[in-house]
Amino acid sequence: MGAQPTSNTDSNQAGLSFLIGADNVHVMVLKTQDLAQRNSIIDTVLKLSSLRNSYQTVYLAAPRLLGATIDASIFRAHGIGLLFFDERRIDEAVAPQPLQATRPQLIPTSVQDSGLVSELASLKSMYFEMERNLTQLRDDLKNLHETPRNSGFAPQLSQPLQGVPREPVYTPNITQRGPLPSYFSNNPWLDVLSKRGRMENEPLAG
Amino acid sequence: MNGDNYRSHYTFAMDFGTSDFKYGPITLGENPRIVNNRGYFPDRSSVMYKAFEPTSDVIVGDDVPLYLQSAEDLSSRLIYPMRNGMIDKGDDQAWRVVSSLTSYSLDSFKPEPNNGFQGYYIVASLSSVSPRYMYERLLGLLQENNHGKIKAVTVIPQPFAVAIGHGVTTCVVIESGHGNSQVCPISKYPIRAAQVALNRGGGDANAITSEILKDTGYGDLANEEAVVRKVKENIGLVPGNLDNAIADARQFPRKARAKYRVPGTRVEIDLEKDSWSRFLIGEYVFNPNHEIFESYFSRGMPRPKDVKMGDTIFRGMLDFGEAIIASVERCPVELQPMLYREVLLSGGNFSWVVPPKLEEIAVDAPTKVRLLLRDRGIKNVSIKMTSSPQFSVWHGCIIYGFAVPENYEWDWQRLEGWMKVSN
Repeated sequence: MGAQPTSNTDSNQAGLSFLIGADNVHVMVLKTQDLAQRNSIIDTVLKLSSLRNSYQTVYLAAPRLLGATIDASIFRAHGIGLLFFDERRIDEAVAPQPLQATRPQLIPTSVQDSGLVSELASLKSMYFEMERNLTQLRDDLKNLHETPRNSGFAPQLSQPLQGVPREPVYTPNITQRGPLPSYFSNNPWLDVLSKRGRMENEPLAG
Repeated sequence: MNGDNYRSHYTFAMDFGTSDFKYGPITLGENPRIVNNRGYFPDRSSVMYKAFEPTSDVIVGDDVPLYLQSAEDLSSRLIYPMRNGMIDKGDDQAWRVVSSLTSYSLDSFKPEPNNGFQGYYIVASLSSVSPRYMYERLLGLLQENNHGKIKAVTVIPQPFAVAIGHGVTTCVVIESGHGNSQVCPISKYPIRAAQVALNRGGGDANAITSEILKDTGYGDLANEEAVVRKVKENIGLVPGNLDNAIADARQFPRKARAKYRVPGTRVEIDLEKDSWSRFLIGEYVFNPNHEIFESYFSRGMPRPKDVKMGDTIFRGMLDFGEAIIASVERCPVELQPMLYREVLLSGGNFSWVVPPKLEEIAVDAPTKVRLLLRDRGIKNVSIKMTSSPQFSVWHGCIIYGFAVPENYEWDWQRLEGWMKVSN
């Protein structure tokens, strides 16, 4: 199958476009008289560069005369093909580097990873389940807070309280420190000792 | 920072035990720091002394092993000031060790500058039988070592601190250390007039262990204190009834066989047919009056004697049951049942285990004391080991320092309160 000419989508765009197999190819042509104009070469090359996103392969076709004045390696470095022509023949001085077009391409549904899709569905259902549980927990907590007030529930002792004498528990007045060591908890001596000096008839050392 | 807040940071306790010195501020939480309660007076001509040039002539704390020299040196240079719970008034070497330990402990916890620190509230704890001159000397040393680090000091007896640390306001505390044991009733205050002191402790259990080693062919080990102590801890047992235990062990020698290998050595001690003698070790601690001990006394083992130290007579042969009863009966009659209801055992000398298969003949310390009291007709008793025997004195000191009001001033009659230190 040979190259097939295609129509230019941009009317400002000079040159020739072809479809070779699945690749779009564009060729910008410099004519001999263009070499006399100071900026025409640069202008043409810049235009070619701007086309790299639209075509897999781009060429600059220039009169062979230009080959004596430019360094072909620059074109190689940028992946632009270079063709020299004269009246007798056309030579490919630099082969172009075909580029993958950066236009988004749709992935056919048939090639999507079915495992990934099912995992996503599973995660989605887990998320909804968690959300449901969280709502349930919030409701339960709310009910728990309201129950004693609303229902008037109070725990009943099976037997009346015996008169168990208890040492009063002293609560240290501490605001700037964390919890005291465990041996402080419920220690009746905190209360007893905090009253030292306030009791009458304190015993003397024997 | 109000009073509670300040002292929740800057209460500092020092427990002068017979073997260990436990110290540190309240911010350490559950466990204090521990060093041996000892000091080493190095030979000034030694290489180590010249190499390290210590600033003090007595070394205390973790550096002591660096300076130790020959074993012969140790008896004169390595001083355990509280080995018997008491220091003689004129024993300057021992007091220098105590002074160095207090400085060492305070230097170990220097608060950060500019954080409101005005000095620690220091609670030191001494044996309950310490005479007044020990209080005077210790309080004086603390004031001398102040250097802006102390705000107020006080000293409380160890059994009192045990009761505080254990959270019991009416009880009898028996504190048994290396050199002696103290029975002290507590009813919100230590009842000093009812204290009973025993001239018997862990060191006496070591003495009979040493005799047993000699009798069973291990005389070469009998003079090594550290080995003897390990043997005591690993094969010594407390019998519920000594006669029954000996009979049982003789009848079933394999069941009661006492065997111990010293870790890291080839030394193995096996009492074999004499394994019954392991019960003598525990019995001797609790009750040295059994006739079987007479043979040891007659062969040269010193009988625990009554000795007078300071104003206190330390009873040698009183068993623990008798000692508790003697102490409680010096208290008001209506208080006595409440005292028997809570008997607390504290100190390493009560750490006895009961091996599997010997539960019928061996008992733990609370059971043994209960049996001794039962033999004398006291039955309604509750006897417990302190939950943290090693640290309960330090815990009690911390609580005391935290809770006693700042304006409760030291009183030489009461031997309680804060002695303010001027900075």
